[in-house]
Amino acid sequence: MTIKNILFKSLVILSLFFSACTDSPNIDNLTMLDGDQIFDPSIYHPEKYLVSKAIPIPNATQKNTPVIIAVHGYSATTFEWDEFRTYSDANADILISQVLLGGHGRNYEQFKNATWRDWQDPIMIEYNALREKGYNNISFAGSSTACPLVLDMLQKGKIPNNGMAQIFLIDPIVIPSDKLLTLIGLVGPMLGYFEATNTTAENSYWYHFRPQETLNELMDLIDKVRKELQKGFKLPTGAQMKVYKSIKDDTADAVSAVLIFKGLKNSDGSDIDVEMINSALHVVTRLEGRDTIAQEDREIQKNVFDDMLMRVRQ
Amino acid sequence: MNKKNVLVFLFIFSIICFQAQTFDTKNDWLGALKVGIRTQKTQKLYWENGFTVDFTFPKILNNRLHFGLSYVTTRLGSAIGTNAIQQDNYLLNVGYFFRNQKKLQPFTRLNTGYFYADYESEIFDKLPNTALLLSLDAGLSYKFKAPITIDLSAGFNLNTGSGSKGPGTLYPVFYQLSIYYTLLKKK
Repeated sequence: MTIKNILFKSLVILSLFFSACTDSPNIDNLTMLDGDQIFDPSIYHPEKYLVSKAIPIPNATQKNTPVIIAVHGYSATTFEWDEFRTYSDANADILISQVLLGGHGRNYEQFKNATWRDWQDPIMIEYNALREKGYNNISFAGSSTACPLVLDMLQKGKIPNNGMAQIFLIDPIVIPSDKLLTLIGLVGPMLGYFEATNTTAENSYWYHFRPQETLNELMDLIDKVRKELQKGFKLPTGAQMKVYKSIKDDTADAVSAVLIFKGLKNSDGSDIDVEMINSALHVVTRLEGRDTIAQEDREIQKNVFDDMLMRVRQ
Repeated sequence: MNKKNVLVFLFIFSIICFQAQTFDTKNDWLGALKVGIRTQKTQKLYWENGFTVDFTFPKILNNRLHFGLSYVTTRLGSAIGTNAIQQDNYLLNVGYFFRNQKKLQPFTRLNTGYFYADYESEIFDKLPNTALLLSLDAGLSYKFKAPITIDLSAGFNLNTGSGSKGPGTLYPVFYQLSIYYTLLKKK
């Protein structure tokens, strides 16, 4: 093969590579969260979502009232915990802080530019704000990616002893179901972004386009937490954990629950609570926006909500 | 690779080196029999170590076709002293080696076998923990003057876990290093 031929073939391969790199997706501003029209409502009205803003100077009763910091998953918004807020408002005397992850609920560019540490920041900000204001019965509820974010906080010792009552993990992701995510560093730069299969309703509350940079961040986060669990760590004194995990989940592989069960122990060294749920949904506590909702799904959701409220009021 | 893994490797390898000698086989049908150790790293997951055996036959494509058996496990890798899942891979393989008279031989292999993961607690009894393994790998093999051969390869598992079926810790991409000692060789 002549040098001319080699050069020509190299140019063809390079041009194919660069033509495969797509910069920006075709965003419909009117219907998609990714655009510049729809934002998470907690950005406009934080006092409706964050207890630290709603009741900045709590009285003695409010200080002792259970507060659950509820955090959504990757590419989602505070919407993911709306049903729990509605349910607990009707059935329990507790307070709920719905935290919006950093880089989420805004537009595509802000999502693309945020790291997983940016996602994590608002959780710690709300937790610290509640502690400073004197709230002393704080719990945490996370779905999907919120779980590795809080597991990382626990591993780093950011939650002091007796600083957290209950920790609920709903369909935590440590192992992805789509194993090709492990190759995101290789294929991501060639593709630029990936499209989610959201329903029309979900497009207002979840990003439709997933920048490869954010998927890289997600992979970095879960890989880090997997390694932390592999070494093992304990919950702070006074904290109790319950993991609720769908058996069939096309986002967070069910084996994620095995890794958490093996790697994380209560402060006294005993096992944490894990419940494997006979469901094929990812995040069994969020049903609104899905195309079809079975009666079984509603029963599972209610059972999980009741169990969470019972544990918080213990 | 952590210190323990290295120690396990050195121990196993030294036993093989001390006990094994290369004999000339009198059988016409056997080209070479090699035994060795293998280390496997899965992309974004575990180190798995174990043992491997490789055969060639002069009557089958003039020793170009290699047949093998291997066993790699996290029990001799990432799971030593950690909370990594204990999992086993039992493999049969057939591989085609190019340039089989040369020291450096490119090769490609088809592997199949059985995968088992131990989730330990009955809480996880409903989760799939076994699978049929099916993978392809390709790499380079180098024969030293001493009866030692080193294979390096990268492979792709075609039957990975998907969340709704298959074990969750069966990942797609893996890298292997195998070090063989030639036990028997036809003159």
